[in-house]
Amino acid sequence: MSVLEIKNLYYSYEGANKDVLSDINVNFEKGKIYAIVGKSGAGKTTLLSLLSGLTNPTDGTILYNGKNVSRINKSNFRSHMVGVIFQGYNLLPQLTAEENVILSMDVSGKHIKNKKEAAISILEKVELNESKAKRRVLKLSGGEQQRVAIARALSYNPDIILADEPTGNLDGATEDSIMNILTDLAKNHNKCVIIVTHSPKVASFADDKIVIEGGRICQ
Amino acid sequence: MYIVKNAFKNISRSLGRNILIGLITLVIAVSSCIALSIKEAAKTAEEQNFSNLSITATIGVDMQKLQTESNNDRNTLRTLMSQYSSLSLEEMQTYAQSSYVKAFNYSLQSSVSKGDGIEPYSEDEITETTDSAQGTESNEQNKTGNQQFGPGAGFGRMGQQGDFTIIGYSSEAAMSNFVNGTNIITEGEVFSFEESDNSCIISDILASDNSLEVGDTINLTNPNVSTETYTLTIAGIFSTTSSSDSGMMKFSTSQDPLNYIYTSYNTLNAIVESSVANAVVETDDNGNESTTALRTVESGVYSFTDVESYENFKTDATALGLPDNYQVTSTDISNYEESLVPIQNLSQFADVFLILVWLIGGIILVVINIFNIRERKYEVGVLTAIGMKKWKVALQFMTELFFVTITAIIIGTSVGALASAPVADNLLEIQISSAQSHEVTYNNNFGRGASFGGGMGMMGNSTTDTDVSYIDSISASTDLAVVMQLIGIGLVLTIVSSCASVGSILRYEPLKILSNRN
Repeated sequence: MSVLEIKNLYYSYEGANKDVLSDINVNFEKGKIYAIVGKSGAGKTTLLSLLSGLTNPTDGTILYNGKNVSRINKSNFRSHMVGVIFQGYNLLPQLTAEENVILSMDVSGKHIKNKKEAAISILEKVELNESKAKRRVLKLSGGEQQRVAIARALSYNPDIILADEPTGNLDGATEDSIMNILTDLAKNHNKCVIIVTHSPKVASFADDKIVIEGGRICQ
Repeated sequence: MYIVKNAFKNISRSLGRNILIGLITLVIAVSSCIALSIKEAAKTAEEQNFSNLSITATIGVDMQKLQTESNNDRNTLRTLMSQYSSLSLEEMQTYAQSSYVKAFNYSLQSSVSKGDGIEPYSEDEITETTDSAQGTESNEQNKTGNQQFGPGAGFGRMGQQGDFTIIGYSSEAAMSNFVNGTNIITEGEVFSFEESDNSCIISDILASDNSLEVGDTINLTNPNVSTETYTLTIAGIFSTTSSSDSGMMKFSTSQDPLNYIYTSYNTLNAIVESSVANAVVETDDNGNESTTALRTVESGVYSFTDVESYENFKTDATALGLPDNYQVTSTDISNYEESLVPIQNLSQFADVFLILVWLIGGIILVVINIFNIRERKYEVGVLTAIGMKKWKVALQFMTELFFVTITAIIIGTSVGALASAPVADNLLEIQISSAQSHEVTYNNNFGRGASFGGGMGMMGNSTTDTDVSYIDSISASTDLAVVMQLIGIGLVLTIVSSCASVGSILRYEPLKILSNRN
């Protein structure tokens, strides 16, 4: 069953004549990894922004478990239903890894017993030990920061994980490690993982590839 | 809850910025605390002095009305003035029957000349003036009623000025200079008010200059008839702090408080009655009558429990038959109002100071917060991107500012509480000296010296003492009202200075912020 459905979606920037995305129709299911691929400027990241509720479609609908996302409070949607892993990590630099994860738990408002322990546990899952969890994120490497971003996205146990170029700045070994974590989330934790990537290697981890060209799905 | 927790943590994370905000708020808090404490203390002092104010009033001719009626014509004014002479004691006593009057005291005042065995205390300058005005040869000429200014001069034709002022009082309460401590009996005792026993009290300087002691007698004469003498016995000697040069320009030694002779109303009244009985009355070609009898002025002072009674008495006196051309006046109220000038100036200064501090401080805080929110734009983007509602982000930022503000206000209130009393006293001192300097300049401009007061005015039935006793101390303490106001200021400052940042937060779109950064 589709956890996320895109129906006849169009998107254009304000004041622009040309659509960035046109006639997009896709279904996403839990337990699978999806790779959205395409050239730069094809509209991949825009699609991810639409899926995360950071912006609204010009036309068409996005359904989450059958409910129109545009009718769901966007803040609630982002803090409960989807976990977003941004390309530039978008962590709060003045906080430690642990605090970034706890903040996300706080924002979700979900009742989590002993948030500190829970945060450490999630960070350990993404292969960050307690010592690193206590460090400010600026003092972590790019790969470690990406892990923190993943941990933050998982902190409130959302159904969908959206990742924008999750391995874009990482070396090969770290890329593999991150992709293993995401695969594990989809396969063993029944999450729907949607990844925007340029990397054929990353795309190879996906169950389905969605190729976008000129704002339209080609494949 | 996490908003408060995060806000608290964020304060220590951005210590420099928050210290700056704290310092500005601290300055605002200290200034506000001092200014508010001064305002509260000034208000309390004003209210306390008003409730403690004992009102005395006199009835006199309404000179302004007479002037209006005379159309500023001097002759008409003179005629009108002669028609409306001072009230008699009987008339004054009639109005004293008003239920609003707490007490009524009266006095009789005249001017007498030296007799055997007593010389008035005099300064050289005055003596010369007095001597030239008082040659015995000219006394007879003055029987016709030469007019002179100064004590002893009533309306119309005035008698010859004597060397001494003699005042007869109805009661102790009427002796305001003794009541307020300007004069103190140092030897002997005060005369009996009930008796007409010719006992009196004189100043210590006058006594020592003439080698007089308690029990001695003094001889005084009628300035108009040197052969008419009166003998008084010294019952007591007083010292006075009333400045001999504080009054108006002197024309006679009788104006010097050291040459005041105090006796009972009954004694002086008996002397005056005897003088009237023996007087020679003449009428000139114009029909103006003159007499050699002692010239006198009777003064009546009405006391009231409060201002309301005084105001009611004004209406009641008219109902009891007080003519339109007379008016009830009180110098206490005007003195009270004048005494408040420094404190009111101080309060106004505090108002202006508060407005400036709040305005400038508020603007600085708004500007700092605008820069702050720009600096933290990315943080807003991340927080909203992970699903934090915008109003919660705004609330967190406001909470941070509130913590800083309230801490600064607590410290500022403590500092302000310690500083408010000395600062208030210092500022009040400046205001008082400014008011006094203004008064001195004003009086000098009219050739009156430092003040009007110190003596007894003789226009109508009034005892005028216009010396203003300024409220010279206030208890500027930081009470609960001030603390509550400061907390209110803290809240207002937080809200006002946060407005710009809240507006920005609500306007920001996370996607734009994060895209721009990336």
